[in-house]
Amino acid sequence: MDDLVIGMAGSGGDGIVSAGESLIAAAAYEGYHALMTKSFGSQVRGGESSCRVRLSTNRVENVGGALDVAVALNWEDFLKFGAELPVSGNTVVIYEAKTGVAPEAIPLVGVAPTEVFAVPIGDMAKQAAGSDKAKNTVVLGLIAGWFGIAREAILRGLRKKFIKKGEELVAANQRAFEMGEQFAREHPLKQPRMMKRPDEKAGKKLLTDGNDMCAAASIFAGCEFFGGYPITPSTEIMQFYTREVWKYGGAVLQAEDEIAGIGAALGASIAGKKAMTATSGPGLSLKTEIMGLASIAELPLVIVDVQRGGPSTGLPTKPEQSDLFAAAFSAHGDVLRPVLAPTSVADTFDVTVESFNIAEQYQTPVLLLSDQEIAQRKETVDPIDTSRFKIVDRRKPTATELSDYHRFRNTEDGVSPISHPGMPGGNYQGAGIEHNERGNPTASGRVHQAMSEKRFRKLAPLKRRTDLFKVEGNPDAALALVAWGSIAGVCREAFLRAKGDGLDVKLLVPWLLYPIAEEVYRDFFASVKAGFVVELAYQPQLYRILRMFVDVPAGIQPFNRSGANPIQPREVVAQLRNASLSLQQPAMPPSSEV
Amino acid sequence: MTTTPPILPTYQAKDFKSDLKPIWCPGCGDFGVVQGIYRALASVGRAPHDIAFISGIGCSSRIPGYTTAYGFNSVHGRALPIAQGIKLANPDLLVLVAGGDGDGFSIGGGHVPHAIRRTLDITYIVMDNQIYGLTKGQLSPTSKRGLKTVTSEYGSLEAPVNPLLYVLAYGANFVAQGTPADMAGLADVIEQAIRYPGFSFVNVQSPCVTFGMEGQQVKAHRATMKTLASINHDPANRLAAMDLAQQYGQSLHTGVFYKNPDPPPTLDGQVRERQRQLAEKAIPRERILDMFVQK
Ligand SMILES: Cc1ncc(C[n+]2csc(CCOP(=O)(O)OP(=O)(O)O)c2C)c(N)n1
Ligand code: SF4
Repeated sequence: MDDLVIGMAGSGGDGIVSAGESLIAAAAYEGYHALMTKSFGSQVRGGESSCRVRLSTNRVENVGGALDVAVALNWEDFLKFGAELPVSGNTVVIYEAKTGVAPEAIPLVGVAPTEVFAVPIGDMAKQAAGSDKAKNTVVLGLIAGWFGIAREAILRGLRKKFIKKGEELVAANQRAFEMGEQFAREHPLKQPRMMKRPDEKAGKKLLTDGNDMCAAASIFAGCEFFGGYPITPSTEIMQFYTREVWKYGGAVLQAEDEIAGIGAALGASIAGKKAMTATSGPGLSLKTEIMGLASIAELPLVIVDVQRGGPSTGLPTKPEQSDLFAAAFSAHGDVLRPVLAPTSVADTFDVTVESFNIAEQYQTPVLLLSDQEIAQRKETVDPIDTSRFKIVDRRKPTATELSDYHRFRNTEDGVSPISHPGMPGGNYQGAGIEHNERGNPTASGRVHQAMSEKRFRKLAPLKRRTDLFKVEGNPDAALALVAWGSIAGVCREAFLRAKGDGLDVKLLVPWLLYPIAEEVYRDFFASVKAGFVVELAYQPQLYRILRMFVDVPAGIQPFNRSGANPIQPREVVAQLRNASLSLQQPAMPPSSEV
Repeated sequence: MTTTPPILPTYQAKDFKSDLKPIWCPGCGDFGVVQGIYRALASVGRAPHDIAFISGIGCSSRIPGYTTAYGFNSVHGRALPIAQGIKLANPDLLVLVAGGDGDGFSIGGGHVPHAIRRTLDITYIVMDNQIYGLTKGQLSPTSKRGLKTVTSEYGSLEAPVNPLLYVLAYGANFVAQGTPADMAGLADVIEQAIRYPGFSFVNVQSPCVTFGMEGQQVKAHRATMKTLASINHDPANRLAAMDLAQQYGQSLHTGVFYKNPDPPPTLDGQVRERQRQLAEKAIPRERILDMFVQK
C-alpha cells in the first residue's frame, strides 16, 4: 500500500490525539507525506476526541475519504464523529474488547467490514505498563505491527516524549508498544496491507499546522507586530507571536477586543512596521470598520480570517468556506480589498508571504482567508527554499519627494511614497476622511472621484498575477473543476483520480480570490462545457461572485454543502463522471413544442 | 580634550502650528486646547516629526491636523488602540491622543481602562464639552441629567459619566483637568502630562459654543474655576484626588488631581527590555522554518 488513512476516537483521557501526533511525527521523520486532523466534542476538556491521520508515499493534500483503519476505544465516542470517520467494507476495524461488543455486532450501520478485531487494549496497557494510560501506545504498536509503519521512528518519538519523566516510563511504553505489535503478529490480517517505505531520498519533512505556518511565514515576511483577541480557530497565531516576535525586535498585543487588536496593528503600520491581526468570523465583523480605514488611509496591513462554521458562534471548531462574501464585500464605501486563500499548510507559507508583499506593494489591507482545517491540521511539508521568495517593502519617499511631500501623490501606478512618524520631512495627516494628495481633508466630489480611482487603479496589476492561480490538466479540456481553500486539496486528488480514470479534465485553484481576475477565468472557461465550483458552504460563494464578474459557462455548476460535512474526493470524481457522460450524449434535438 | 555639547534645536509654539485653518466654530473651546498643546510641545522640545498625534472622530478630533506633527484622524472611538500600536512599534515617538467625551467615554469607553492598565508612555487629552458637537447637539455620556438636547427632548434621564473618577478608579497614574479659560494652567498640565513617564490623562473642559450649555462656557469657567494648588491639594494623594474628582460637574477644579510620585515601569520600556533579552534566541528569519524540522 502507498496510502493509509487511520481514524481513531476515544474519550478525552484516552490520549487518542496524542497517539495521532506520535504517528505523524514519526511519519515526518521517516519521510512519509502525512496529514492529521483532530476533532473534539463540545466540552472544553475531557469530552470525546478523535483524529484522522493519513500517510502516503505521495503528496497528500486532504484527509482522504473512507478510513483504511478505524480505532474505537469505545463505540459511543466513535459514533459521535459520524461523517468525519467514515468506515467502509474495506476498513480494518480495531476496537477495545472491553466494550463487550461482538465483532459481528459492531454498531456500524450499512457496512460490514471484513477485518474486525476486538483487542483488549486497556488490559494490555495495564499488563505492559502498569497503567491504562498506555492504551494509546498499545494502539501505536498495533498499527505499526499490522501496517509496517515507522517502527523505529515511533519508538524514538516515545523516548523523546517520556524521557523527561524517567527511563522507567520509556521502558513501560516500549513494552506496551511491543505488546501491540505482538498482537498484530499473532492475529494477521486476512489480506496483508504493508505500507510501502518512503523514497530513500525523500528526506525529513517539516511538520506543522496552518496557524503556526502562517505565523512563521509572517515573521519571515518581516512582520513585527501582532494585535489580536483570542478566537478559535485562529488563536495559535497570536500564541506563536507571544513566543517569537520579541526575538525579532517586535511586539504583540493581546487587546481588549478585536477592534483594539486591529487598531493597534494599524498603529504599528502607521509607525512604519509590517503588522497583522488574526481572527475568525465574529471578530472579522468587528474589524470591518478599521479595515475600511486602512483602505482609505492606504496603510499596509494583513488580516487573517480563519474561517469556521457560522454565522455568529456557529460551529466554532469546524471548517466552512462561508466568509468569502464578508472578506470581499464587507466594507462601507467604495473599497477594493485583496483576498487570498491558502489551500494547504505548505502553501500557507507562500500565500502569507504574498499577502504581506501585496499589502506593502500597494499600501492596502489584505485579507488572508484560511480555514479551520488548514489552520489546525498537522501536515508534513517538504523543506521550503526561502531564498526563492522576494520580500517587498513599502515605497519610501526619496529626498526630492520629501522636499515637497505629498503623502497621497496620485502617481502613474497609483502607489504613493509613504513616510512614518520619526522620518524628518515626511510629516503628514493620515485620516479616514477623504483627503487631497497632501492628506488634507476635503469634501470635494472631484477629489473623491480621483482618489477612489487612484485606490482602485493601484490594485489593477494584481489581476494579471497569473502566478496566483494554479491551473492543471489539458488546457482544452471540456470538463473542469474550480476550488479554493482546503477543498482545493480534495479537488486536486479528485482531478488526479478522474484523469487516471481517463477523463479529460482540468483544475483551477485560485490563491487570489478577490479582486476577480476576469481574464484568468475567461481563459480557463473558454474550452469548458461542464464542471463544478466545489465549496464547503451552504451558499456557493465563489461561484456566485464569479457570476458577478465572468460569463461562467452554464455547464459549470456549484457542488457545495454546509461546513462540517467533509467533501470526499470520490464524490467529486462521481460528479465529474456524470458530467462527462452528459457531455458525450448527443445534444437533444430542439423541441418543436415550445 | 574638550567637546562642545551638541546644539539642540529649540522650538517655539508656532513651529507646531500647521497651515490648515481650523473648521471649528468661532469661540469653540478647542481653539484653546490646540494653543495649549502648541505651548506644551514647545517646552517639551521634541521635533514635530517625532510626534505622532492620533485622534478619533468628532469636532475635537480634528485637532491633529492643526499641528505639524504626524497626525492621524482615525475612526470614532478607536484612537487609543491605534496610538498604543504606534507606541509599541516605535517607543521613541512622543505619542499624543485626543478626542471628545463621546469618542472617549461612549463609543471608545471600553478601551480606556486597558490603555490605563498597560501604562504605555502616552498622553490622552479629552476635550469634554458634555455634548456631541460634530453630529450637532445630541446627548453625550458626560451630559448632565435633565439636559434637553435633540435626542433628549424632555430632558436626559441618565446620570453622566465622571471621567476623572473613572480614570482614577482604573488606576491612572497621572490625572489632570484644564480649561481654555486659564491658558497658562492648561498648557502647564498638558506639559506635565507629556513629561510624565506613563499613561497620562488630561480632561479639558472645552466649551461647545454652538450646542453646549450656557453655564459651561469660558466666561462661566473663568468665574467659577478653582485651581487645585489654591486649595492646597496634594497631587500625590490618590484618595484626596478621588474625593475632589467626585465634584466633577458641580465645581470646576483645575490642575493636577493625581500624579503618582513613584510611576510603575512603562509597558514600552518593558517591551524593549524583553526584546533585548530574547534577541539572541532569534533564528535568522530566512531559517525560521527550521523550528518545524522533526528532530
Ligand atoms: C462608528 C461611528 N458612529 C457614529 C459616528 C458619528 N459621530 C461622529 S462624531 C460623533 C460624536 C461626537 O461627539 P464627541 O466625541 O463628544 O466629540 P465633539 O464633536 O463633541 O468634539 C458621532 C456620534 C461615526 N463617525 N462613527
Ligand atoms: S459644534 Fe461645538 S464643538 Fe464643534 S466646533 Fe462648533 S463649538 Fe466646537
